[in-house]
Formats: sequence, C-alpha cells, structure tokens
Amino acid sequence: MLGRSCTRGCGFCSVDKSIAEAPDIDEPERIVEIAKRLALKYLIVTSVTRDDLADGGSSQFVNIIESVRNCLQDARVEVLVPDFGGQKDSTVQVAKANPDVFGHNIETVRRLYPIIRKTSGYERSLDLLRLAKTENSRMLTKSAILAGLGERKEEIVETMEDLERADCDILTIGQYLRPGPKNLPVDRIVLPEEFDLYKKIGSDMGFKFVASGPFVRSSYFGEEIYKSVIRNM
Amino acid sequence: MYDVILPSLAEGVDKAHVTYWFRSEGDDVKEGEDLVELVTDKATFKLPSPASGTLKEILAAEGTEVKVGQVLAKVQ
Repeated sequence: MLGRSCTRGCGFCSVDKSIAEAPDIDEPERIVEIAKRLALKYLIVTSVTRDDLADGGSSQFVNIIESVRNCLQDARVEVLVPDFGGQKDSTVQVAKANPDVFGHNIETVRRLYPIIRKTSGYERSLDLLRLAKTENSRMLTKSAILAGLGERKEEIVETMEDLERADCDILTIGQYLRPGPKNLPVDRIVLPEEFDLYKKIGSDMGFKFVASGPFVRSSYFGEEIYKSVIRNM
Repeated sequence: MYDVILPSLAEGVDKAHVTYWFRSEGDDVKEGEDLVELVTDKATFKLPSPASGTLKEILAAEGTEVKVGQVLAKVQ
C-alpha cells in the first residue's frame, strides 16, 4: 500500500523511485473489499518507504489493521513496515494497533548497510523491532535477511544474534536475486546446506521459527509459519 | 451469467499464472467455493466462484498468463 513509489533507493529493490503520490484514504476499505472477494483468511500488508509523510505512513497501517479487525473478524493480519525514518511514535502506534505479526526486514548485515541501504540504518531497524515488542509483547515480531549480497557467513550469524537480542520471534532467510540491470549483482548463490545450517543455528538461538532456503521470501508461507508458532506457544 | 474476473490484487501486481482448475466445464459450483488457483510474483491464491450454478466455460487454461480484469470463466 501507499503507492508504487519509494523514497529510498536500496540496491536490491526494483520498486519505482519516482515522485510519491498522496496517500489514498480509501485504501484500507479497498484492501478489505478484495480480501472479502477472495475470502482471505490471512493478509500480509506492506508498503513502500514514505519519508515524505510526517508519520512515515504509520497511520495507514493502523487504519488497515483496524479495518481488518472490524470487517474481517476471522482473518489474521501481518504487517511488514518500513523504518518510519526512525520515528518511535510511528512504531508505537502500529504496535498498539495489535497486528498478529509485526514484520520489519533488516535485509542485510551491518557492514553492508552503507553500500546496500545507504539511507537506512542497521541499529535503527533493530531498535524498531525491539521497541515494537516492548510496546506489545502479545504480537509476534518478524524479520528477514537476503543472502548473496556480499556478506560472509559469520556476518549472517551475527545479524541473527542481533535480531534475537532484539526479541525478534520469526526469521526468514532467502537467496537474493537481481531484479534488473540497475540493481546490485548477485555476489554468490548460497547452497541449500548453508541455508539449512542457518535454520539450525537460528532454532538453537531461540527464534520461534526460522524459514531458511533459496526460495524463501519474507512472506513465504506466512500463514503456515504464524499458525505453527501459535500452536507451539 | 457471471464472469469470473481476475481482480486487482496488489500494488505492482498486474498479472497472474493460472496453475489449477478445481472444477471442469459443466460442473455444478457453489458461491464462494474455490474455482481456480493462481500464482503471482508475490503469492499463490485461490479465486472463489462469484455465484452458485454451472461452470459453463473456462477461458484461461492451466499454464496461461492472465491480466487483471481478464475474464477467466463464466458461471451460469
């Protein structure tokens, strides 16, 4: 939601970076409408980054969570939020709206942030996840790492440790694929055995669920992962 | 006659692949029952029947690519 244009320029992402449009106040209503038509039971809602909006777009996330709660009582809602420019109040408002899963992707390791996510912050993203969990410990928090962007194995493990210390519940790790010629090249193809190792390391660390594999994306089997975590709690 | 249309799904998603028809032409179908499975860049999902009746015609075979707004089948 919140349009097709993003105000950041992450090297791995193919989302358009032209002028951002004004937010559509009917958007939560339209999302609920399509969810009804498709009889959806699990929604994953995400947005572009909107540094041009005073609240970074957090009120739109709050509105969609409330619309789902009011109009689709049987449906679960997972949000995948941007970093809201580090504004704590935005994170607090979305956490208080109580989505079933609160996701925010760290994407890459600390060392690569200045190259891959120039205008974002590694610590800022960790702080956001920690704050969300502190504000609302009932919801599950979730993050994702893209492997194959130039990071070393031990750096992925270090990022997993940082996420675990930020009380992140669910982690997904998948292979980076280059969306187009303007994006960063693939540094390496991570073998399935290495992904399996991350799953084991993550489970030992204490994550409630780790999905790790070449085809894994942050929304990969989102509903099944949520249900599995809830069952085991 | 009701059209089974591929609705607008998400920002940046304007097409889908038809992967599986749960029903064949001539079958009786109920409103809300899953008719067809589709895959987009972002998700796999099932499209329910818009009405109860007979699945008269399938206009998008398994394996084909369809665009938002396209009619996939007709239910009478």
